[in-house]
Amino acid sequence: MRAVSKAKNRSIARKSLRRTIFFVILILLAGSTFEPYNQAQLALVLILFIGVLSVTLLTGISGQLSLGQGALMAVGGYCMALLMTNQGYSLWMAIPLAMVGSALAGLLLGISAARLSGPYLAGTTLVIALAIPTLANRFMSVLKGDEGLPVDVGYPPVWFTNLFGEPSYEEWQLYVALPFAAIALFFASNILLSRTGRMWRAIRDHETAASLSGVNFSRQKIFVFVVSATFAGLSGALYGLRGLVGPSVYPVSLSLLLLTAAVLGGIRSIFGAFIGTVIVVFLPDWIDAILHSFELSEQVSNFLPALVSSLLLILTVVINPAGVAGTHLHKHKHK
Amino acid sequence: MDTFLAALFSGTSRGAIYALVALGLVIVWRGAGILNYAQMGQAMFSTYIASTMITNGNSYWLAFVVAIVVGAVMGVLLDILVMRPLSNKKKTELLSSESMRAAIPVIASLGILGVLQALAGIIWAAEERGFPAPYAQEGFTVAGNVMPFTSFDVFVITVVLTTLALTTLFFKKTGVGLAMRATALNSEVARLSGIRTNFTRSLSWAFSGAASSLAGLLITPTSNLSPNTLDLVLIIGFTAAVVGGLDSPAGAVIGGFLVGMVISFVSFYGSPEDVFLAILAVLLLVLIIRPRGILGAKDARRV
Repeated sequence: MRAVSKAKNRSIARKSLRRTIFFVILILLAGSTFEPYNQAQLALVLILFIGVLSVTLLTGISGQLSLGQGALMAVGGYCMALLMTNQGYSLWMAIPLAMVGSALAGLLLGISAARLSGPYLAGTTLVIALAIPTLANRFMSVLKGDEGLPVDVGYPPVWFTNLFGEPSYEEWQLYVALPFAAIALFFASNILLSRTGRMWRAIRDHETAASLSGVNFSRQKIFVFVVSATFAGLSGALYGLRGLVGPSVYPVSLSLLLLTAAVLGGIRSIFGAFIGTVIVVFLPDWIDAILHSFELSEQVSNFLPALVSSLLLILTVVINPAGVAGTHLHKHKHK
Repeated sequence: MDTFLAALFSGTSRGAIYALVALGLVIVWRGAGILNYAQMGQAMFSTYIASTMITNGNSYWLAFVVAIVVGAVMGVLLDILVMRPLSNKKKTELLSSESMRAAIPVIASLGILGVLQALAGIIWAAEERGFPAPYAQEGFTVAGNVMPFTSFDVFVITVVLTTLALTTLFFKKTGVGLAMRATALNSEVARLSGIRTNFTRSLSWAFSGAASSLAGLLITPTSNLSPNTLDLVLIIGFTAAVVGGLDSPAGAVIGGFLVGMVISFVSFYGSPEDVFLAILAVLLLVLIIRPRGILGAKDARRV
């Protein structure tokens, strides 16, 4: 029995690895052909993709709707920024520690939220998303209030420039984000394909049935929160590296943006998470490209992306709740 | 002592408005099983319409009535255009799980909120504007002291209490109210006994839309009007509804006043920044100690 499950795990890991390698090659190819502006946008896609994965795991796979992922991103961002500015850590040390920090925050959230469901959970996490950034002003001396803590990706190390030449700042942003996005993708894919993913889907589909089949669902629910918070913290740390970690960087609208991306792409699949992230990041550019000949006033063009993405969100939910990617990844479950 | 009185009065008049918001949430939750996160977006939109009417020279009272009617109509439209098609789609694969059935309407209402806020930004620009009050906002003078209580506060409390009384009478004494209560209790049985549940459900949305538009009209004179101003009010209303019990209109009223008091005392004795943390603390406390709220039914939905 154990031997069988070991072989199974190995084949799952191989499959996830294949996906990850394919993903990395795709991004590198796209990144090398893009101009600096689009390289920075692609880096943003990778960063938010990790955050959207946290929504996919929590909401799409285990069925718990959280609107507070932005708060967990803020926890990750602040942990990293404090370690970098106060302790002088490099970002390669600070980011993993920030992930530990946000995992702890996720544990706390999971313990208090595991008994909530549906609209209660959504409302409570929405309040959390509003309340956590105000802590920055509460602990002014450490967290520096509205000003925030400036951090950035810095410069590539010498061995990197020796090997690959001097990258532009945007390109370096992309190369910093890529390994983390690849690791996140690998773990998310592993979880989805494994026994853990099956347990989480069982909780989502029917709690009573899941617990009757031996799933300890309150423990698994807390575990989902911890894993999802780790993803969100990583995403938040990288998001802060774009220049600033502050309350204005992690507003409630960021949490809603992640949810929108997850739903548009397909809330149950990793592929969907990526498609959705590409849509929400590049939507303003696409709208601009289509409508630039109409000479729209700034007032209209500022709000148009939000209007279009919200409309798309409603249409997706009403017409095709499975999103762009559909549910083909898990078709075996519903024959 | 002065601070205490000021906090008490402000808590009462703010609490009245929060009670109204919470009532709006509770009515739709009971009537349609949906927590409407777009509610204050609707209120923001209709308050902007009222504001535009007043700037164009119409009287305050005409704008007041129009805003409430617009709020009600918007509620019905949302039900017919978005929520009803959603609840008819239950058979699709994604909606087969119980947790996603609860999550999808929430996501839809967030989409509606986004659309309303973006539209308001496009139509009325994003900068804040004031909204007039029909009565003076200067404190009464009692024995030479200016009291922290204005004639506008009296107006707010009177309007809210009247609305609450009328709503209670409507649900208790009229046939339609009875039909709505029956639908809330068990929509399948209600439909079998000849109640047009689609109609009563839309009526809940209309009521809630009107109530929240009223709340928007009453709260914007003391804050300001921008596409996002009422987000915080929604959060407070949600907390109030959970404190009182999501399925109890009377509980919503009690919760509204309670949360209003907490917020008012925190912002008078602490700093306004702490309000968010206070709301979170109240919410978590209630959810841990008494998840069904003060007046929630014993066999309330599992939280």
